[in-house]
Amino acid sequence: MDLNLGAIIFVAILANNIVLNQFLGVCPYLGVTKRIETSLGMGMAVIFVMTIAAVVTWFIFKFILVPLDLGYLRTIAFILVISSLVQLVEIFLKKTNPTLFRALGIYLPLITTNCAILGVAILNVQMDHNIIQTIVYAIAAAIGFTIALVIMAGIRERLELANISSFLQGAAVTLVTAGIMSLSFMGFAGIMSL
Amino acid sequence: MRDSVRMAVTLLLIGGICGGFLAAVNSWTAPIIAARELAEFQETVGAFFPEVEDIEEEEIDGEEYFICYDDAGNLLGVVGSVRASGYGDDPIRYNLGVDADGTIVGIRVISHTETPGIGTFIEDESWQEDQIVGLSFDDPIAVEQDVDARSGATVTLRGITGSIRRVVDTIGDNFLGFEVETMEIDVAAVDDGTYTGTGTGFKSEVTVEVTVSGGEITEIVILDHDDTQAYWDQAEDETIARILDAQSLEVDAVSGATGSSIGIIEAVFDALN
Amino acid sequence: MATMAQEFSKGILKENPVFRLLLGMCPVLAVTITAINGFGMGIAATFVLLCSNIVVSLIRNVVPARVRIPAYILVIATFVTVTDLVLNAFLPALHAALGIFIPLIVVNCMIMGRAEGFARKNPLGRSIIDALGMGIGFTLALTILGIVREVLGAGTIFGLDITGTAFEPMAVFASPPGAFIALGVLLLIFNVLYKKMGLE
Repeated sequence: MDLNLGAIIFVAILANNIVLNQFLGVCPYLGVTKRIETSLGMGMAVIFVMTIAAVVTWFIFKFILVPLDLGYLRTIAFILVISSLVQLVEIFLKKTNPTLFRALGIYLPLITTNCAILGVAILNVQMDHNIIQTIVYAIAAAIGFTIALVIMAGIRERLELANISSFLQGAAVTLVTAGIMSLSFMGFAGIMSL
Repeated sequence: MRDSVRMAVTLLLIGGICGGFLAAVNSWTAPIIAARELAEFQETVGAFFPEVEDIEEEEIDGEEYFICYDDAGNLLGVVGSVRASGYGDDPIRYNLGVDADGTIVGIRVISHTETPGIGTFIEDESWQEDQIVGLSFDDPIAVEQDVDARSGATVTLRGITGSIRRVVDTIGDNFLGFEVETMEIDVAAVDDGTYTGTGTGFKSEVTVEVTVSGGEITEIVILDHDDTQAYWDQAEDETIARILDAQSLEVDAVSGATGSSIGIIEAVFDALN
Repeated sequence: MATMAQEFSKGILKENPVFRLLLGMCPVLAVTITAINGFGMGIAATFVLLCSNIVVSLIRNVVPARVRIPAYILVIATFVTVTDLVLNAFLPALHAALGIFIPLIVVNCMIMGRAEGFARKNPLGRSIIDALGMGIGFTLALTILGIVREVLGAGTIFGLDITGTAFEPMAVFASPPGAFIALGVLLLIFNVLYKKMGLE
């Protein structure tokens, strides 16, 4: 689609939020959102890794897999790139910025199995984005992810203090909350007519 | 060092076996997938131009157009894979085939959410053959002119007819070298007087009365319409103001009420033409 | 040492990957718009889980510990790609319906979880049973959610109209918010059930 960058950003963050609309990254959304700081931490890590992963996988797809007619190796290539990337980022951060490493540290290994990273990498390629659109979409999607997480964390911090039946606690009430959030984000869908 | 070698060898071995296995599965499934995709595609395009050999793809306004050539490189025509707004929640997706002379050779509805029994005539081959196929770029392609009205199915009918008109224009303009008629009038050349004209609004006919005095449009009065009031209200005052202001019909439709705006503009054009 | 029967049944009830372990949530929410799609995804994931558990168990003594994760990733991704290609060739409708979630099976924590947590340390027989149990539990969860969303959202089960005109389907259940809410309520119900069965 010949979308201008503004539309890509708007759609990625609001109208087609990767968590609330496309169901990518639901595990951390349920697992990490007990506190706002941890959500922010995860969000930052995701923005960082998702962008680099999207760019690297895009290059590999466009310049290695497609010319060699190896499209079917896409899944393997992408997931190997992502897990290697996460290892490299960990090592790199440990050496160059120990404070940042300690802040992000625990989230980085979790990111490998974050379907959002692989999902966005595949989406960029499926939507036939050029490199600029890929970068913009990856950053915007990750920001949308972070926003969804932080809002959820804010709500859950409040819920901790509320009196909820023990059967609802944990994932059940989080999911219902997520449903309401998703419903409200659906309001953004009609704004852009594609 | 021996450990590293062992690790590297193990990984390479596993990688190699996996790769080989995948290559085998791929060579088994790839022809099946390709054959199916080709069949689906030919269903789309080949249905309109059976002699097609070569196809170019172009995207205009988010919709795909397939330009078809025969084996000698001659242009056979263009197939547009497009959407129309009907009565249902989702757009009507359909393919329209237009040959090199600008004549519609076929229409094929892919998906729609029109009301069963009322709006589903669009899928009816006899309706398609009778009403749509054979119309060309120079024809009006408009309801009650060359497309028969259907009571109770106005919105669907106008939706698809308007869309077909737009697609034929797009194909003619972009690929066949035709010139799309724009609504231009030289107001100064119009004699003083009062004129009436009609145009097609969003879902009804719009009748206007236009008064010209001293080479200028001085008044535009809406005589009749049956569009949805909420949208019409958005369109009426603003569109009339724009026309009077610009003293021409090259004005933008009011966004959010395009159909009604265009109806008013068309009606004024009809009156002064 | 648990019996074979226990290894099998734990995946279905006590350690159901969706209702207890909360693994593989993304596809659970995304593909359960209809029961048949949920079921199809369950079978696909079970296939991958089974194959990967078999291979991981077979090579468990050969792979050096430090490279086991990349090795497992290679194996799992291979079977995911096989599933993708075979579905595209023979079940194109299901392939189109499951879409991006077929390649995403590779990051389904359930599969890597069983490889790392079980197949790596257990003989072939047990690994197979474990995979089957978990896979069936996963498929069951997906199908149940799919049925709920399909009945409420479209009035049909597996494509068969069961409510007719008496019931006006609520489209919200076919869309993202409905997925979250339906799963949340199901989890609530299962939490109550589990407590009643003494499995808390």
